[in-house]
Amino acid sequence: MSGNRNRSLGAALAAVTTIYSAGVLAEPLFWSTQANPIEETQAMREQVLSGFEGGVDYQSSELGPWLTRLQAEAGAGSGTIAVLGGLHGHFSGLEDNLADLGDIDSSAVKSALLELGTLGTAEQKYIPWMQATYIMAANKKALEFLPDGAELNALTYDQFVDWMKAMAEATGGPKFGFPAGPKGLKHRFFQGYLIPSYTGSMVTKFRSEEAAAAWEKFRELWQFTSPASPNYSFMQEQLVSEEVWVAWDHTARLADAFNERPDDFVAFAPPAGPAGRAFMPVVAGVAVPTTAPDMDASKALVAYMLKPETQIATLRATNFFPVVDVALPDDMPASVRLSGEAIAAATAASDAMPALLPVGLGDLGGQFNQVYIDTFERIILAGQDIPAVLDQQGDALAAIVEQAAAPCWAPDEPSDGPCPVD
Amino acid sequence: MTTATDTVSVTRDEVRSASKWLFVAGVVMLCIWVLLPIYFLMINALSSPEEVTSFPKRMFPSFDLASVTFFFKFQGVLRALWNSVQVASLTMILAIGLGAPAGYALSRFDFRGKEAFRFLVIMTRAFPLPLLALPLAIMFIRTGLDDTILGLALVHATLALPFAVLITFSLFSGIPVELEEAAWTLGCTRIQAFYKVILPLALPGIAASAVFAFVISWNEVFAAAVLTIQNRTLTAFLLQSLDVSPLPLKFAGGAMLVLPALIFIFAVRKYLFAMWGIANR
Repeated sequence: MSGNRNRSLGAALAAVTTIYSAGVLAEPLFWSTQANPIEETQAMREQVLSGFEGGVDYQSSELGPWLTRLQAEAGAGSGTIAVLGGLHGHFSGLEDNLADLGDIDSSAVKSALLELGTLGTAEQKYIPWMQATYIMAANKKALEFLPDGAELNALTYDQFVDWMKAMAEATGGPKFGFPAGPKGLKHRFFQGYLIPSYTGSMVTKFRSEEAAAAWEKFRELWQFTSPASPNYSFMQEQLVSEEVWVAWDHTARLADAFNERPDDFVAFAPPAGPAGRAFMPVVAGVAVPTTAPDMDASKALVAYMLKPETQIATLRATNFFPVVDVALPDDMPASVRLSGEAIAAATAASDAMPALLPVGLGDLGGQFNQVYIDTFERIILAGQDIPAVLDQQGDALAAIVEQAAAPCWAPDEPSDGPCPVD
Repeated sequence: MTTATDTVSVTRDEVRSASKWLFVAGVVMLCIWVLLPIYFLMINALSSPEEVTSFPKRMFPSFDLASVTFFFKFQGVLRALWNSVQVASLTMILAIGLGAPAGYALSRFDFRGKEAFRFLVIMTRAFPLPLLALPLAIMFIRTGLDDTILGLALVHATLALPFAVLITFSLFSGIPVELEEAAWTLGCTRIQAFYKVILPLALPGIAASAVFAFVISWNEVFAAAVLTIQNRTLTAFLLQSLDVSPLPLKFAGGAMLVLPALIFIFAVRKYLFAMWGIANR
């Protein structure tokens, strides 16, 4: 009896060990926060990484587990992660855990992007992998309500609000959708679009009168915004289901709508405010943790990600654009063509104003975003007094920037010492 | 006087039929509460992506298997499903194997530190997993438990243990100690008395807490996402990418996550019904 039990226990342990050792031999692990939707994960595996010799185990996860796993491997001093993929902001604060990638040939990458990858150190902590931005999308049915004389790619926020108003009145309900849900990227709209368009600044003029005017305008727009917006995260869903006709979102989060019904939607540049047409470029990078099991294999994989054909495959898989100069083939998906045109219109506009992702905030990036989210919730959702809210949130913002000792980044003027909040 | 009695009796009848209706309505409501979401989940999982996003919604599935097939082709899903089953089963065995004796000891014996022990058992649930995951992962990597079925099952068993201990504790407390004593007087040893008298009475309840342990393990995401890499469980594999995926895939993935748990509960329903006093057939 007990012999039997011992035997079966032994068999169970042997089975566990087999499973375990089977895992150790595997392909290099690409641990990523990007291409998280399952279709994109699938495309990353089948179309992008299948060309890498020996294969790659691509695993995408949420930021929490991603970070915890990385920290655990750093803490234990040995790890299985070969290459990390994440947004610029995900890497800040991890400088000590990332190996120097300076010996990888990254000359094809634009130097402004490469510079971001140093994370303020002397080493190349990550190498840019792909980039994206946020654009506007509209159902073609919405176009007939455009105000007279307004041009789609050169709208101002005033014209945009008039448009939404006319449409809401003509159709009997608000038709603008805004990704204000828990997974929505609402804070990027305030940081990179609304506030800089009115103030020419993301941080310094946070509580200026111009900023108050911007929030006043957004409050006006909110009347013509779908009341279900606080549940929206990926605007492509509501666009396809025609719950809303016009939306602002990340290019990758609009792509399905463009690809499913390319003839029904248009993409256009974000509106401009008195200070300019602000927009926010997004950069994702690849890095190698210091605990990588095989440093050479990891670096080979990073170099592979920069090859032009990999970059084009990545664009198809994730709707993030290449960071190196490549000639795009003609058969790209509709989303690439449509959003590509809108991005070109935004960047080429005479009043274009790039508002960069926060630089130098380290692990305070989340708190920085929270200031903008709180401001939105207090002013728009709770209807509180704009100057009072801006004043209080401005204090919180100043405290975070000071704690990080982060100098100003574009569009704010460069500063000595922490970026001031006037 | 007579009229008054009549009124009362009529009212009593009315009350009786009204309470019957209320009961039936309540049962129907509860069934809808549970079944309707599952029904919609299944319809949408079995409809084509266009039908899922269109409006008005369909009431009957069109049996378009595009979304579901996508999942079965999705690299590693079947393996993740198998991992989930293994981890959940191992969790169940560990939680009951450790929890039931602890519950028995708590209900039958007086020992020093009993209260403290009960308190400590509950305390294990006081710390959120995201907080525990980092030190656990470091320890697991160092000991080689990292990325194994056993390691993850140990963590899940820790989560399930408080419930297993407390459920079995109240279970054993509900079985009179006199039954056990009677068995002793009739020649049973302590262990025999437990196996022959107590265990049959407690089995349905133990099964219920086993189901509970299974479900806790099945649903747990964070530890699974951090502690497994090659041997991911289905929830770690799917759940965290599901909420950022297109609607049709959300439904198909949801159905995939729900179905195995439903099948399992169906398999053990006999024991659950027995615990609720419905005849054990």
